[in-house]
Parts: sequence; structure tokens; C-alpha cells
Amino acid sequence: MRRVLLLVGAVACVAGAPARLAAVQADQATRSLQERLARVGADVLSGTDHMAEAIAELKAIIAIDPRLADAHLLLGVAYRSVGSPDLTGEATAELLQALALDPRSIPARYYLARLYIDVGRPKRAREELETALAQMPGQPQFLALLGEAERQLGNPARSLELNRQVLQGDESFAEARYYLGLAMYDLGRRDEAIQEFERVVRSGVQKPEVLLSLGTAYVQAGRLEAAIETLDTATTLAPSRADIRIELARAYRSKRLLAKAEEQLTLAEPNAAPALASTADQQIESDFYQELGLVKLQAHQLAAAAKAFRKVLDIDPNHGPANRALAEVYLLQGLYARALECAIRAEKAGFPLPDEKRKLIAERAGAKGKGRE
Amino acid sequence: MTGLRRLGALLLLLVPVWLSGEGSDAPSDGHVRFVDVTAKAKIDFVHASRKSPEKYMMETFGSGVAWIDYDNDGFVDLYFVNGAPGTSNALYHNNHDGTFTDVTKRAGVAGPAGYKTGVAVGDYDNDGFLDLYVTAYGPNALYRNNGDGTFTDVTATAGVAGGPREWSTSAGFFDFDHDGRLDLFVVNYLDYRLDENPYCGFRKEGYRMYCNPTSFDGTADRLFHNNGDGTFTDVSRQAGIANPAGKGLGVTFCDFDRDGNTDIYVANDTVRNFLYRNNGDGTFRDVAYGAGVGFDPNGKPQAGMGVDCADVDGDGFPDIFVTNFSEELNSLYRNRGDGTFEDISSKGDLRSSYLALGFGTKLFDVDNDGDLDIYVTNGHVIDNIKLYRPNLAYAQKDLLYENVGGTFRDISARGGAALQVERVGRGLAVADFDNDGSLDVVISSVGRPPVLLKNESTPKGNWILIRARGHKSNSFGLGATVRIETSEGRQVAEINNVASYLSSNDVRLHFGLGKATRIQRLEVMWPSGIRQVLTDVAVNQILVIDEEATK
Repeated sequence: MRRVLLLVGAVACVAGAPARLAAVQADQATRSLQERLARVGADVLSGTDHMAEAIAELKAIIAIDPRLADAHLLLGVAYRSVGSPDLTGEATAELLQALALDPRSIPARYYLARLYIDVGRPKRAREELETALAQMPGQPQFLALLGEAERQLGNPARSLELNRQVLQGDESFAEARYYLGLAMYDLGRRDEAIQEFERVVRSGVQKPEVLLSLGTAYVQAGRLEAAIETLDTATTLAPSRADIRIELARAYRSKRLLAKAEEQLTLAEPNAAPALASTADQQIESDFYQELGLVKLQAHQLAAAAKAFRKVLDIDPNHGPANRALAEVYLLQGLYARALECAIRAEKAGFPLPDEKRKLIAERAGAKGKGRE
Repeated sequence: MTGLRRLGALLLLLVPVWLSGEGSDAPSDGHVRFVDVTAKAKIDFVHASRKSPEKYMMETFGSGVAWIDYDNDGFVDLYFVNGAPGTSNALYHNNHDGTFTDVTKRAGVAGPAGYKTGVAVGDYDNDGFLDLYVTAYGPNALYRNNGDGTFTDVTATAGVAGGPREWSTSAGFFDFDHDGRLDLFVVNYLDYRLDENPYCGFRKEGYRMYCNPTSFDGTADRLFHNNGDGTFTDVSRQAGIANPAGKGLGVTFCDFDRDGNTDIYVANDTVRNFLYRNNGDGTFRDVAYGAGVGFDPNGKPQAGMGVDCADVDGDGFPDIFVTNFSEELNSLYRNRGDGTFEDISSKGDLRSSYLALGFGTKLFDVDNDGDLDIYVTNGHVIDNIKLYRPNLAYAQKDLLYENVGGTFRDISARGGAALQVERVGRGLAVADFDNDGSLDVVISSVGRPPVLLKNESTPKGNWILIRARGHKSNSFGLGATVRIETSEGRQVAEINNVASYLSSNDVRLHFGLGKATRIQRLEVMWPSGIRQVLTDVAVNQILVIDEEATK
């Protein structure tokens, strides 16, 4: 928004009056472009429902002046808001270009860090945030996001420290509180995490991420009514988010409402695997089949359960919960050698079966081993 | 300097090469046919990718190939880039009898030590001999042609190695500022670190896959200005092409707006493509958004790989063709001539590329009928793709499209047995290696021998091959625009060997002339600004045109 626009053709005039006229026209064009940018910027930053139109307008502005750093910044933010995996790379590219055009652009660096957090690249997020903090020491938004990057890098205690520091300065800062809750959850302090998430929601924040975290914590705590209500709200905010529906299915299954659980899983079912599925997509696929297997197991549909768990193991053969559940299925099916194999893998992954089941599988598998399965 | 430049008074030198007769085997179906003559040509190079359990992305990247007449004997020689560290690139001398001899050791062009990728060809020191630039993951290498069959690595002196950890891909020489010296554009790909190579794909044994480029940031391309004293200066930033958003794989040069300045088009992988308009003052402006050549018609970035530009619809303006990922169409952008382009990728048979993953490509007149056809070599990047997507394959067939009045018909099935072979195609370069007037194709393949495909299409139209000798302009006339008029119509093309994927084509310019028996008018607009006109030119010859001394 600070840059001077030189429209194509406006520089072609010779000296004298035409030159002055050209300068006036260029100045008007610049102001007009700045006004357009300001308008669309307000839309993008307020999360307009008309993001496609905002993107089209930003592209039109960049077509006129490709060196407007703020236009690239806003386009990056707009792409990120759309949330489509197809556009995530483009969002990063636009923000990187904004930074290349204006290396001191703090907003570009901040949104770039957010994107890196979104796509599971916390190390790069940390690099950007540390650079931004060097420019603006103590900036609470950067500190909060840095805390989240640290948590994702396996340092929840550092996140706790940073976000507490931020909240001391402004205890109404919902994002910092949310990150604080996530850090507490990672540290095993589930009930405190729930309290923090609840405070965030009570403050008026209705974001799918927050509701998913709260709903997940409720499921863990056995507060299933609250979990279902929270996750149901989350699905209305983000109907296409498979991860939320999988968690809601889990809550229903925990309440033995299997039909409702299956209904949610039907809505969450992954499409045919894309050729280059991201790690996040694969995680969702794995979670989907794990939950489906558990629902089928509870419904005593053993073949369907085994099929679902095997899908999880296709993605990761050492998946502890899937191995443990599949061992149980095989035990029920009388396939003891296979059950033993899965039980051993589950134990190695830190998810052992209950003692009595382990013993039973070992005995039966031993007996069968002497004969044949 | 050789005496070549002192031949300025020479208007033109005719080197007639009369047709020696058509191939003995008539095509079984249709008239376009390519024949695999690799073994017959005694080319025994094998690309080494050294696939590892870590699935480093370079292993599936493939390498480039270049046509270069390094000894100026009038027959193009072949340069193959290898892959894995510790392997050697290979230079094959054309023996003029359809065979080649490996002369790598004597020539001294084994390439950089690390992962090697692409190759560019140009005479950067204007001594009349073509030089080689080899790209890599890590420092690139510039080999100066000594003119005696040997080359000298002058990378350090020239200052064109690039960053120590940069992953350079395609590159090309062009004279962006009309100073008569070839500058160098180097495309860079990802900010990729071997020691931070993430695990991608399922954890099940055999399912680990090569990572998606979206897992990494891009890196800025580089533009090196030729100082004329054997050194270059990196002018990327001041020229306006240092955009770190790019994940570049392919590059080509054309004067898209016909303002006399060579522009740059970069094909990026998973992010939008760049069209750098040359402002004529040493700077460029990325006009991809306004021109409509950055995305697919839905505004979605694609995975651009190879690229070429040329006038496919005969309106005098160069169009752009980009090969893309599987389940994306290859892109054909028609130049409207007003600074904007129309995406016509879904017209005609171009939709047949949907499942193929395109890499090397070239727009050229396969059958000498006077318009440009399209050749694409394909191959997936994920070697175990079938485990994930049974409808896709690692090795794939090439695609050949015939130009029918500006739209394209898929004639791959009728292109001969060589087009029915599945390969993991990557680099592709085009030249008339036997000087018979038909353009031949060489294709590199990941971890496999390359293929040399001789064009044995019959009957074929008349032709002319133009070898430009610049004097005020660069010595091979790169960037010159040539217009011809025949009884069949008009054609315009630029002398540009930079296109495809990681590869470099012959510096000679080929025109198919159809049934025309004379070229009524042939005009060359040299990069120096000198306009030169020849009239009543014979067809079916290799025409050497020396740049006139004055305008």
C-alpha cells in the first residue's frame, strides 16, 4: 500500500504538460488501486463470506501492479482462509513473495508462521516468529504462536510458559488461552485444559479447532453428553471437516449409540486416496478406519472390524491401538496365531492388551501352534 | 576468437544437404513414425538414479539431455546428464553415419559431483563454440568449450555456481539486454535438505513414497548477467526475478509481446507459473496474473514440469505449452497478442493427457507440413504409485499431438512402435541429428538408458534448417526472430534452444514448409536490431546466415 504504481503506458509520455498529466493520472491510478486494496483488505481480514470474489479482486490488483507486497500478503491470507489443500502451497508462495518484496513486513511473516503451523511445519514457523520477535520484541500474538510452535515441536512446557506470559499482559487473549489449553493437555493436565478451552468458548470464540479440542478432551474425560454437544456444534461450523466427525463418532460409540456413530463416519469417509496424500490426510484416514473398526467391533461385526483395522495397519503396520483391537477381533474369531502376532506388535508399540486376554491368546496360540491353525 | 566473426561481409553461406531418400519401411498406419535407433547409434549411456530407502526426491527427478554441435562439424552431438552422486555425465560425438562415440573423458565434461539435473547450451564467450552449463543439487558447473574437443570447468571464475545447497533444474542462455552476450537464467526448485528429508506415504513396507513438493518452500531463480570478460554478475534481485515463491522446473524464452525483448516463462511445480515480461531496461515484471498464464482455468495452480513456447496457431505470436501432473491437463495457452492468453487445454485431443504425468516436451513440426505439433514424454514421480492408485503407472507412454488448424489430435497410437513403449520419461530434446530435414527426438528416462527416436515420417514436406551466425549479436543468434513467406503461407519463429524439462535443443531453427518449393522471403530480426532479408531461398537445405555488419 506504500508503493508507487506505474501503470503500463503511463511512463511513455514525453516531457512537459503530457508528463505532468501522466503523473497526475498515475497518482490517481495509484490512489484508486490503494483504495481497492484497502477495501478488499478489510474484507479478507474480517473473514468475508465472499472470499472467492476477494481473491479475484486481489488477482486483478496484482495484474495491474505485481510488485504490491500488500496485495500478495492479502492474497496469501485469502487463500489460507479458503482452507483448500490445493491453495495452501499458493498461500505460502504469496506470503513468501510479499516478504521478498517487503522483507520488513511483519504481517507477512506472522501469517506465514500461521501457515507453517497449519501444515505441520512448526520449525519453520518458529524461525519466522523469532525473526518477527527480533523486529517487535514481546509482541503477544507472536509469542502465543511461538508457544504453539514449541508445543508442536514437543516442548509443551515452553508453550505453557510463553502463553502464560502473554495472558499476564492480556487475560482476554483467547488464542493464547487456547494454546495454553493445548499445552496443558499435552502435559497430561486434561481437566485444567478443559477449563481453559471452556473459558475460550465462553468468551465467544466459536471456532471449529477450539470446539474439536474441547470435545476431544470431554471424550477423554468421559463427559460424553458435553462432548457430543460441543462436537455437534463444531460440525455445523465446519461440515466438511472429517476429523471433527470422526471424534463425534467416537463420542457416540462411547455412549453405545452405534447407529449415530456410523452416520458420522459415513459423512467422514475419505475419498479415493489422492496420489500424493499429505501426512495430515493420511492421519485422518487412519483415524477414520480405526474408529470404524471400533464401531464394528462393538457391533460384533467382526469381519468388518478386522477389515477396517487392517486398513489402519496398511498405513502404519506398527499402529498400537489398531494392533491391539485387531488382536481382540482375531481372538473372538478364534484366529489365535494372528491374534498373538497383533498382540505382540501392540505391546511393542506401548498398547498392551489386558493381562487376561494376553494370557488367553498366548495359551490358545500355543495350543494351536502344537497342532495347526 | 576465431575468424568466424570476421566474416561479417558474408551475407549467407549455403550448405545444401540433399535428401538422401526416405526410410525403407513405410509406416504401417498413418504417416508419422518414430523409430528407436538408440542401439544402432551405439549410445550405451544409462542413467543412474540410485534409489534409496530414504526416498530422496532427487532420485525420481530424472535428468536432462542436450543437443550440442560442440565441434562445429555441422552434425549435432549429444550430451546426457546423469543422476546420482559419483556418476558421470556423457558426451557423445556424432559420427555422421548414424552412430555416436562416447568422448566424455577427453572432453572433460563429467559434471558436478553431487546429484546432477539439467543442462543448458550456449556460446557465452562468443568464440563460435557452444559451451555447456550443468545444473545440480548443489553447485552448478560451467564448461567452456576450448574449440579442440575439450572443455574447461570455469565455474569459479565465471561465478555461476549458484548457492551451495540450491537445487537447480532447467537453465538457459539468452541475451536479455541486447549487449550481444548471452546471459544465463537458472531455475531453482525447492528448499530441500537431505538431512531433513521427511517420511512420506504409508508406513507399511514398500509404501514409502517420494514427498510432495508442497512439503517444502520454493527458492528464487537466478539471472546471471554476462560481463563479457568471462565473468557473470548475479542480477536476480535488481532484475526482479528473485521470487522465492517459485518451485521451478522448466523454463523457456520467447518475445511474447513482440516488442523486441526476450521474455521468460517459468513452469513451477504446485505453485503458479511466472511470466516475466522484459521491460527492456534490465528489469522484468511478472505479468502472469494479468496474462492469465499462471493457473488452470479454475484459478488453481498446477504442477508444471516441462514447457515450450512457439506460435502454434500461425497468428505470429508465441503460445505456451506446459506439461503438468497426472490428473491435470497439460496447459496450452494461446497468445491473443494483446498481453493476455486463452487457456485452450481442453480443446481437441489435449485432454488425453489427463492421466499422464508430463515432463519433457517440444513444439516442433513433426511432419514438415508447416505447423507445430507437440511431443510429450511422461512418467510418474512416485515409483510405487500403483500401490496407491492402481489406475496410474510409474512408466508411461509418450504422447504425440498433430496440429490440425490450431487444435490438436492425439496421434500417439499411430506414431510407431517407439511411442507404444512405457518409460519413465524426463528430459527431452529435439534436433535433426542426421541432417535429413526431419526433427528427431532424444529422451532421458529415470534409471534407464535414453532413447534416440529417429523421425521416419513419410511422406514429409519440404523444410529448411537455419544456422544463424551472429556477429554483433551472440554468435548463434539466440533470440533472433525469423519470418518466412512461402506459397503455403507465413511462419514466424525465434531461435531458441531453451525449452522442455532440464534439457536443451538444437540451436538451429527448423521450419517445415509443406509443398512449398521456394521461400519467397526470409527475414531475420537479430537481437542486435539488425534486420536482414533474403529472397527466393531454396528449400531442403541447411542455410547458414551470417549477421550483416550494419542495419
